Amino acid sequence: MSPLNDLGSFLAHAVVLEDEAATRYRELADAMAVHNNPEVEELFAKMAGYSEMHRAEAVAHAEQRAGGLPDLKPWEFEWPGDESPESGRLESSHYLMTPFHALELALEAEEGALAFYSSIASRTHDRAIRELAEEFSAEEKQHAEALKKWIAQYPEPPENWDDDLDPPVPID
Amino acid sequence: MNSAVEEHITILKHKDFKSDYKPVWCAGCGDFGVLNALTKAMAALELKPENLAMIAGIGCSSRIPAYTSAYGFHGVHGRALPLATGLAVSRPELTVIATGGDGDGFSIGGNHFLHACRRNANLSYLVMDNAVYGMTKGQASPTTACDWTGSKLSPQGTGQPPLQPLEIALAAGAPFIARAFSNSPNELARIVAEAIEFEGFAFVQILSPCITFRPEQLGWKKRVHEGFEPTDDRAAAFAALAEDDGFTTGVLYRAPRPRYQPERRESVDIETIQKRFEVCS
Repeated sequence: MSPLNDLGSFLAHAVVLEDEAATRYRELADAMAVHNNPEVEELFAKMAGYSEMHRAEAVAHAEQRAGGLPDLKPWEFEWPGDESPESGRLESSHYLMTPFHALELALEAEEGALAFYSSIASRTHDRAIRELAEEFSAEEKQHAEALKKWIAQYPEPPENWDDDLDPPVPID
Repeated sequence: MNSAVEEHITILKHKDFKSDYKPVWCAGCGDFGVLNALTKAMAALELKPENLAMIAGIGCSSRIPAYTSAYGFHGVHGRALPLATGLAVSRPELTVIATGGDGDGFSIGGNHFLHACRRNANLSYLVMDNAVYGMTKGQASPTTACDWTGSKLSPQGTGQPPLQPLEIALAAGAPFIARAFSNSPNELARIVAEAIEFEGFAFVQILSPCITFRPEQLGWKKRVHEGFEPTDDRAAAFAALAEDDGFTTGVLYRAPRPRYQPERRESVDIETIQKRFEVCS
């Protein structure tokens, strides 16, 4: 049941995409809290809040649809990569990361979602799916543009941003 | 209150399987992906936290029970499997999942691993393998390559070939053997779900990068590839492992056999037990 030709599947993908984005931002915020990086923690918490808002919007779209959604297992979703495209990459996080890095991570995630919806809009033969995919794609584009402006407010960190005078190196 | 849509999509309930504790893992640790996959598998199987038991030993990855809403036991180093086996045979109605790392499971608990494979109690064993002792700050583990020089304890490498967990599991009689990657949480969830549903001992080696002491493992993302085709033919499984580069994922071997489930003995009161131990009356 592909999001390309089944509206229920498409909406299930949209809901889970935002849900997983929010979950990932919460995880990243928690990791920053544990590692005493409050500035980036706050930023990731804010991003999680936005994703939760978008999730609620996707749920509202889904609720308007008669006929319900398919209950897909995690491995039955058809994502372009290993996980849903708006999930910020865990491996891009670092305990010393700056707001600049956090926003870059978020931008990459938004662009992943934008590419996902754009790809569906250009490939589907279902009019309702195309219209929704175009709408979501336009929203993701707005988010990406907003993030680019936000990033511009922060200076690019120096090359040695991850230098740690007391690093977690082998002690044996 | 959840909407009808939220109630219907079971994957959205994965958060029900997470606890309120914030993981203390390093930012970017592969174990975050394992926790995600595990909770997704639990949601997909529509398990109930009160019927789940997570048993672990010691190490970074062994902290995982605390981050779930299941019952959990953080036991002695290397002893997750005997604890889990005892629980699985005494409470067969529970879903028992043992977790840990490569040091805990293959070194300190190596002997238990062998016998858990051959004993075949009904439990899953998820080993988050990063080929390093992370919690003690980066020493070579049983699965570390012989030429890894990242630790001052082995400045010229250990010189010893790394242990091959899948080959050992197969030789020791494990009826379900798989490998997965933490950065592919949905595929990992599928394999974990299959392991949980398997009737018997299900072993999953999870490649889970240590971003702090083995940052080069970030490159695993490019090396991991699908390839194992499930078989119940032991010789075919050994042949597949002979061709394996250590990064092949999937279910390698699935050959159900009668699981270890001793008859429950009648319970006795403490006085009867005391009498049995009396040397002379």
